[in-house]
Amino acid sequence: MRIFHRTLVASAVALCAAPAVQAQELIVGFTRDADTLDPANHRNRATETIIRNIYDGILTRSSDMQIHPEIAESYTQVSPTVYDFAIRSGITFHDGSTLTVDDVKFTLDRVVLEGGMGDGQSSPRASLMGPVESVEIIDDAIIRITLSEPWPLLPAMLPHQQIVSRAHVEAVGSDGMATQAMGAGPFRLAEWRRGDSVILERFNEYYGGATGIPEAGPACVERVIFQAIPESASRVAALLSGNVHIIAELPPHSMNQVNNSPNAQVMTVNGTRSFFLAMNNQGEIFDDVRVRQAVAHAIDRDLIIDRILGGTATKIDGILSPDAFGKNFDLPSYDYDPERSRELLAEAGYPDGISITLDTEGAMRDTAEALASLLTNAGINTRVQVGEGTLLTQKWRTQGSEKEGDMYLSSWGNSTLDPYDIFVPTHRTDDRGNSAGYANPELDALLDEAGMELDRERRGELYQQAEALANAEVPYVYLWVPQDIYGVSTRVSNWSPSPDSRINLHRACLD
Amino acid sequence: MTLTKLLERLLQLVPVLLGVSVIVFVMMALTPGDPVQIMIGDQIVTPEQEAQMRRDLGLDRPVIERFFVFLGNAIQFDFGQSFYHRRPVGEVILERLPATIELTLVAMLIALATAIPLGVLAAVRKNSIFDRIATVGGLLGVSLPGFWFGILLLVLFAVQLNVLPVAGRINYGISQGITPYTHFLLIDTLLSGRIDAFRNALAHIILPAVTLGLPMTAILMRVTRSAMLEVLRADYITFAQAKGLSRHRILWRHALKNALIPTVSVAAIQTGSLLGGNMIIETVFGWPGLGRLVVESIFVRNYPLVQAAVLFYAVIYVMLNFFADILYTILNPRVKM
Repeated sequence: MRIFHRTLVASAVALCAAPAVQAQELIVGFTRDADTLDPANHRNRATETIIRNIYDGILTRSSDMQIHPEIAESYTQVSPTVYDFAIRSGITFHDGSTLTVDDVKFTLDRVVLEGGMGDGQSSPRASLMGPVESVEIIDDAIIRITLSEPWPLLPAMLPHQQIVSRAHVEAVGSDGMATQAMGAGPFRLAEWRRGDSVILERFNEYYGGATGIPEAGPACVERVIFQAIPESASRVAALLSGNVHIIAELPPHSMNQVNNSPNAQVMTVNGTRSFFLAMNNQGEIFDDVRVRQAVAHAIDRDLIIDRILGGTATKIDGILSPDAFGKNFDLPSYDYDPERSRELLAEAGYPDGISITLDTEGAMRDTAEALASLLTNAGINTRVQVGEGTLLTQKWRTQGSEKEGDMYLSSWGNSTLDPYDIFVPTHRTDDRGNSAGYANPELDALLDEAGMELDRERRGELYQQAEALANAEVPYVYLWVPQDIYGVSTRVSNWSPSPDSRINLHRACLD
Repeated sequence: MTLTKLLERLLQLVPVLLGVSVIVFVMMALTPGDPVQIMIGDQIVTPEQEAQMRRDLGLDRPVIERFFVFLGNAIQFDFGQSFYHRRPVGEVILERLPATIELTLVAMLIALATAIPLGVLAAVRKNSIFDRIATVGGLLGVSLPGFWFGILLLVLFAVQLNVLPVAGRINYGISQGITPYTHFLLIDTLLSGRIDAFRNALAHIILPAVTLGLPMTAILMRVTRSAMLEVLRADYITFAQAKGLSRHRILWRHALKNALIPTVSVAAIQTGSLLGGNMIIETVFGWPGLGRLVVESIFVRNYPLVQAAVLFYAVIYVMLNFFADILYTILNPRVKM
């Protein structure tokens, strides 16, 4: 049988020449295919990554996470709840028509209005627009966005919305938009092979994108292909064989393999996801801050980052990433000190230690086991219990209702790197992501004030105070922010990964 | 087989499908995890916005009501909208189907073309070195996990030798100008007279098909071998030998035809499990088929898609058994349906 297989494969090999990769075709080995190509009709980050190469936004982010006007020329905050955006003239859509303020209003209305998608359907992206109340056309260059309450996050969230052509949407309908993409971005859709790849071709009349980021003009490469390769080992194989040029989500254990190969290298960037151990603050054991501090002192984060995460994570002492706005860099660190843990446990009335269960998802099992043995070593007998993701979410993110369980190894993403959408959900009393069940009116007040504060400096100070408070109270043990790891062919130039995991290929070149 | 019998068999499908749809629906409804929460992920959302999303997906209605709506629509081949693709589920499944069927058929062809001759040879040369190697090889074939074997093949043929591609069905540049007559690329490229494209499509399908077909090859070889051994001991074979028929004729005309009966039924059932095996193989090789779609959909609780896909698998399974029965009667006229 083996002989037969070998003959069969050998003859196939003889029959098929190696796939020739064309000079200007940049292929991304991506984790999945897009769900849809309609910018308003999904809630999926990977889908948005693909769409962002076809459609441009009013604002965008550079790879250092700065906000830049894109389709807008500039923007001004008129009052706490009113923003004006000056829209550039002379931008054309892929079909040659001119982009106007009418298209911008239409796009935003389609997202924020109830039933805005047509057929009584609302956009699943509405909540990404926060308290936007109305979008008005002031004149043929100015669009005004009015909020129902102050929301400093608006500029950071607008890059998540991409501008569509009103005429196109009206012609193909929301159903047609799922597959017939037509935007004003650097690439136009050539073909979408569902489940397989999205093939994009350079839009030669592209206006050049954000002015704040250098090298405007049409894209460098002629064609871009997002090829779905869900299995990470296969993505690595595709990169090493030269089949693809950029791969996302390179597993840490494959980093050496990629770096040792002559035709590819590893690129990393701090991600935006903070990992933590949530302790059930409503439970009997962890309502005592000394027990929570004992847990913090029991964990050797450096060891785990070094041995399990391949050195690809940054230690944190508060919920915010070091790259986030408002990060407090003076937070005291809970150093690894198992003896101190035992003392704290004894002070809290547990001289013989405690026994607990640590919940985690299958993907985090190795880390959880390592944490458990460190905890056990410090008198906190820990048993790891692996559960399915959505089950654990239901068990832990109870939004205030009583929860069972001791400890949960989890994480929260913060793609804007603004504290508002990570600090509030994880720390505000009864909020969606508050898996620790932590309730502190003082912290709530700080977060509420920061959420409304328009003075940037003052707002940053408020978050720094909030982080210091949380650091002392340790409702969570803050662990690390992992880096996003990419494998990149040595042929690729002028591209670097973004913390928000977008892959914008406008400026990327291929030798 | 009469037409009435055929109709009778087809009618038997109805209760099977009804049962399957109840089971799938109940299982999905009982599985914890809320599609809306998964969709929102780590984002801030107001309760009103969350309720609106739930309403748009039809999840605000009670489970019983949702079940009857699902059933009523399913009878008219309307399986609703995929939560994530925001298009009709039927459309999404149909676009993925040809890739899966093509892969399954090629895997089955490879398995049959390898397993039957090897099984016969192993039986004829019972206890020889060849037989032993084949037996051990068969054991390995069944035991090797598909995802592992697939990655091994990738490392060898794509990375080390760099002769075969890693993922997809065909390269973009080469696929232009091919008319999708059947949506099976191997056939369409030939019908379009494009040998270069055919080679490219073949290069893409060969590794996933070999990986997918390997366990089936192993099983079929062992079934063929033992069936053949039994047949070779039968009186009519001795009689044929006495009559002076050539060994070749005895083996391939008289013995094999009877030995194939168990092989056919096992092959039919195995084809069903090939569809299941697709889920892993399609993930490893980035093959744009239905299996991967179903796996992804289960993780994100895309109820309508999972329900429709499982129903579809059930239909295929029942049909395969049905075809096995027909083939059975052709191979063995003593068996009447």
